[in-house]
Amino acid sequence: MKIVVLGAGQVGATIVEALHSDHDVTVVDLDGARLQALSYRYDVSTVRGNGATRRVLQDAAIKRADLMIACTSRDEINLVAATLVKKLSEAQTIVRTSNPEYLEAWQERQIDVDFMVSSELETAHAVSRTIGVPAAKQTDVFADGQVQIVEFDVPRAGGSDNLTGVPLTEAAERAASRPLTGAYDEVVGLPLREAKVPADSKVASIIRADRMLVPRGEQSILPGDRIIVIGSPDAARAWSGIMARGERRVDDVVIFGAGATGLAIARVLLDQRIRVRLIEPLEERAREVAEELPAARVYCASGIDPDFIERERLGQARAAVFAMREDSKNLYAAMLAKVHGIGFTIGIVHEPVSVEVFERAGIDVAVNPRSVTAEEIVRFAHDPRIRQLAMLEGDRFEVLDITVRDSSKLVRTPFKELPMTGSLIGAIVRNGTAIFPHGDDRLEPGDRAIIFTESSRVAEVEKAL
Amino acid sequence: MIAAAERLRRNVGVEVGAALNLVGALVKYLSLAFLFPAALAVGYSEPVWPFLAAGAITAGAGYGLERAARGKERVGIREGFLVVALTWLFAAAAGALPYLLGDEPQLQSPINAYFESMSGFTTTGASVLPDVEGLSHSVAMWRQFTQWLGGMGIIVLALAVLPRLRVGGRQLMESELPGPELEPLAASIRDTARRLWTVYVALTGLEILALALLGWMGADDSMSLFEAVAHAFSTMPTGGFSTEARSIEAFGAATQWTIVVFMALAGSNFVLMYRALLRRNLRAYARDEEFRLYLGLLFLGAMAVLVELLHVGLYSGEEAVRNAVFQTTSIMTTTGFASVDFNEWTTVAPLSVMVLVALMFVGGSAASTGGSIKVVRHVLIGKILRRELDQTLHPDVVQPVRLNRIPVDERTVRAVIAFVLLYVGIFVGGAVLLVVEATRTGVDVTPFEAIAASATTLGNVGPALGFAGPIGSFEPFSDLSKVIMICLMWIGRLEILPVIVLFTRAYWRA
Repeated sequence: MKIVVLGAGQVGATIVEALHSDHDVTVVDLDGARLQALSYRYDVSTVRGNGATRRVLQDAAIKRADLMIACTSRDEINLVAATLVKKLSEAQTIVRTSNPEYLEAWQERQIDVDFMVSSELETAHAVSRTIGVPAAKQTDVFADGQVQIVEFDVPRAGGSDNLTGVPLTEAAERAASRPLTGAYDEVVGLPLREAKVPADSKVASIIRADRMLVPRGEQSILPGDRIIVIGSPDAARAWSGIMARGERRVDDVVIFGAGATGLAIARVLLDQRIRVRLIEPLEERAREVAEELPAARVYCASGIDPDFIERERLGQARAAVFAMREDSKNLYAAMLAKVHGIGFTIGIVHEPVSVEVFERAGIDVAVNPRSVTAEEIVRFAHDPRIRQLAMLEGDRFEVLDITVRDSSKLVRTPFKELPMTGSLIGAIVRNGTAIFPHGDDRLEPGDRAIIFTESSRVAEVEKAL
Repeated sequence: MIAAAERLRRNVGVEVGAALNLVGALVKYLSLAFLFPAALAVGYSEPVWPFLAAGAITAGAGYGLERAARGKERVGIREGFLVVALTWLFAAAAGALPYLLGDEPQLQSPINAYFESMSGFTTTGASVLPDVEGLSHSVAMWRQFTQWLGGMGIIVLALAVLPRLRVGGRQLMESELPGPELEPLAASIRDTARRLWTVYVALTGLEILALALLGWMGADDSMSLFEAVAHAFSTMPTGGFSTEARSIEAFGAATQWTIVVFMALAGSNFVLMYRALLRRNLRAYARDEEFRLYLGLLFLGAMAVLVELLHVGLYSGEEAVRNAVFQTTSIMTTTGFASVDFNEWTTVAPLSVMVLVALMFVGGSAASTGGSIKVVRHVLIGKILRRELDQTLHPDVVQPVRLNRIPVDERTVRAVIAFVLLYVGIFVGGAVLLVVEATRTGVDVTPFEAIAASATTLGNVGPALGFAGPIGSFEPFSDLSKVIMICLMWIGRLEILPVIVLFTRAYWRA
């Protein structure tokens, strides 16, 4: 495969490192020194210049490329480049962004990019996983977020589910290997018709090894599978609880630093109904964040003020995340927090070398946003199966959003009597409210049906409705 | 002499000329309002000339003012306050002309005429007339009509229909429209003004229809078309003038209940109403924090009064419920109608009277025609207090005050606190002045009655207690007391800040 990578920074370099041996990689960057360093280390070709221009893209032979990865640190450059590539070639595009609103627009298919990765969101998910609350990964939303399509990696029994490249200390590993209890056993490993699947949700698809299964009653979810679930936001939360394997949940987290990363982490944790306290030294930013997150408690204070930590009893929090801009400050604040009794500390690091420093110093987990982002992009680039899933638009599988016609034969037929064709009606949007249908519900004309189906059956489904 | 004037002009930071020019234009157009009572006078064969003369004088004065201050049409934020404050003073003066020019014996004193007119335009509904029923049809209707004009705002009306005012319109409108912040209904201020007036006119039409139907169907014999129009013109702006000496007591139970409904509507947020009607979505009401407190307070007030009325056995059954609900709704929305002379409750049911006086400080909703402090400010004050309490324990916490989940600007928060403090301060000052003046002139006013009089005029409610009760008249007050109350009505209607700022040195400095 021929791949063009825009940006030779930390993210770009990690991607190149992972892809260069199997693929034909061209790197584009403005900085000649960075390009030279990369080309000395790996067998890649380089083009110097602004990747958001036609000339440079043509120099990088974009016409023959299969995939373009725009991972510079500037969102708009990445988006312009992706837009140009869509016109100039057949290549698929991956865009890195730090703006959650771009991500949302992409999820609602308003930005024409094949895959979008947000460093902040990936970091937030990584943090969420390390504290034992695997967050649902949203791939699609319908009806103003009332219907969500989310994917989960089903954890293996007993085995630790650590992030590749993110070292877990013993504490985290112990936390991950607690005995399985609770709802996990009632869902995973049982035939679906017996499994206690959360209300208002359906398993839309199970991916096992290379095969995608259309779930039927007799099939079961097994550890190691990746599953796609359609359901309400509450159901998505319930699923995430199940995937946490019934461990005692961390219910109280303090986040130091309310920058873009801190904010994204707070959002993901709040979504899981975890109590979040944010500490931000800049008054203006603190106010902004407080306005944005009504559910979080925001303090305008320095994270390294022992009086403040004592006064607000921060030591009683179960976990703390250090997401300030400087690694050294994060390290100091984390040590101080440990002194005050916080048990589990997660540091966000910006320099690759800091991971080791943090670990040596006794910080429980270090998460590097750039490497997390690069990993996600590489996963996508490597594995066509994941790629199809993430886009939900591949050759085999589609999500349809169809308004039911008056003349459809299926109108007013109870769901349990609908023919089984390998498609699944995940949800219905009626008068702006989402309904998750049961056997006795019926389709009404004018409903918006959100349907999972195999690509070969799209025409058939469209005709039927 | 000229040099001194020139120096003065340079030291003043307000373009007085520009403000006067705009005030002149507004007053000029106000003269058109006299056509309505004039037509009525023709119909009832009553003297027309007082209205025509008043119209001519108003138009002439407005035109003169406009011409004299010609060529300085730039009105900025500063001038806006002056425009609003002066327009209301002039409008009240214009409104007093028909009373003075006509041969109405009760309104021959200029102070009385001005009081009556200011009370009308500010939708207070406090009257100096000892005998309302002695008025001619056209004068009585003019009195009702002044309330209707003032209800949604003279300037808001001008913004909606006049072509010229568009520049700087938002700020003018914000200082006239009730509530701490203007929530725009449309992209342009002109369309917002138009939509507000549309809702207002539509509701007034609906009430006229409802009341007139009651009359025609025989449910209420005393309700003629004239009475229906007169009372709709008084209900929708939360005014309170009636053409009947016994206020709404003169009408039957069906009419009283109808008026309760329209008073409650008039005291609710018109922006919210427009949205709910447009989208056919009543959920906006359920979610609105101000509306919920508004209904809650109406209910609590009515319950408190009802319990006492039943307890002392003053009324029973439907009559007790109706009197409790009517009085609380009327006072809280700052309308000021009465279905019974609640002044008589002072001795038998004192708690109810206390509740009513307390409700004078609640008022209507933001963007309604109601006066007083307004429910939304009470909502905000409650939240501000809660935040203060929280912050004494957690001094570093950053917590925006939210209204309907939307963060409120800290400037607005400060403005709300300042408003309430000024409101209470001016109310206390007014009450003290009224007591002192009453003692000086030997008018029989108890301190509690002075409190009620100050609260009722500042809140644009209407009836006070004692001789100025719902069936009574403000006539016995001394002239100076009336001037004090005229000022209170004026300050209250314009929500204090636009008027008070004129009395600061910083306002006039360059």
